[in-house]
Amino acid sequence: MPAIMSEAPKKKVYTDTQKHDIFNREFMPHIDSMYNFAYRLTTDEDDANDLVQDTYLKAFRFITSFEQGTNAKAWLFRILKNSFINDYRKKSKQPAKVDYQEVETTYNSEDADASHTVDLRTDSVQDMIGDEVANALNALPVDFRTVIILCDIEGFTYEEMAKILDIPIGTVRSRLHRARNLLKEKLRDYADSMGYDA
Amino acid sequence: MNVSSKMTEVKQAQPIKQECENHAECMKMIQMILDGEANAEDKEHFRLNMDKCMPCIKTYHLEKCIKESLHNKVERRPCPEKLVAAIKAQLNN
Repeated sequence: MPAIMSEAPKKKVYTDTQKHDIFNREFMPHIDSMYNFAYRLTTDEDDANDLVQDTYLKAFRFITSFEQGTNAKAWLFRILKNSFINDYRKKSKQPAKVDYQEVETTYNSEDADASHTVDLRTDSVQDMIGDEVANALNALPVDFRTVIILCDIEGFTYEEMAKILDIPIGTVRSRLHRARNLLKEKLRDYADSMGYDA
Repeated sequence: MNVSSKMTEVKQAQPIKQECENHAECMKMIQMILDGEANAEDKEHFRLNMDKCMPCIKTYHLEKCIKESLHNKVERRPCPEKLVAAIKAQLNN
């Protein structure tokens, strides 16, 4: 498996033409995934535009830190995630505090690891349309939403997610597990409200 | 004789468990299986036990359905052309 990004990237010297060539060949093919990630994080089209633009301009500026042939998609996702946390969240319409508090509370609660089975039927989920699933996803605190997007929508491995999010693999696993329990609760609430389980 | 041999078969067949005593661990394993992250030992355990426990069978189908719904049903929007053009214009400045 190729390394995503080394801890101490070797700086390369590129000409302007080479920089543009790497940018177009390695970075631009991921722009749809990046846009969708930004849109799912911000849930706002204008903010998603700004976040993707900032991320790509940063990627170009720091292109010498990128090792050709390594995982460009994960490298870009990591920059986007960091831009979102450092720049965007501060001016976000949704204050970050709420999310952090909710995450901490969920992490620290005694039953966080307990086997709590959500009473949700597979048939109910099968009957849902994409927007209904997306609404349930969007209702999750952003840290939980992020792991589900990366794993289930974008198909990153746990190892890639650990590097994108700067957390250990064990934390990826447990956060994903909790995120899925929360998602099931949101889906169950929605199914109940629509009478899917009636 | 046929009846008695059938009865023996029925006696030997294991009933499907309706309760799972390890469900928290099982859920984690099922998710890792679906994510393609389980090791060989877990995969083998899953293969041998999957059809013996009703809560785990239900969990497997539900988790699989949610994962597939997220991947296949949630709309993916193409990046707006204007944004691509704006990024390229900024690079050439």
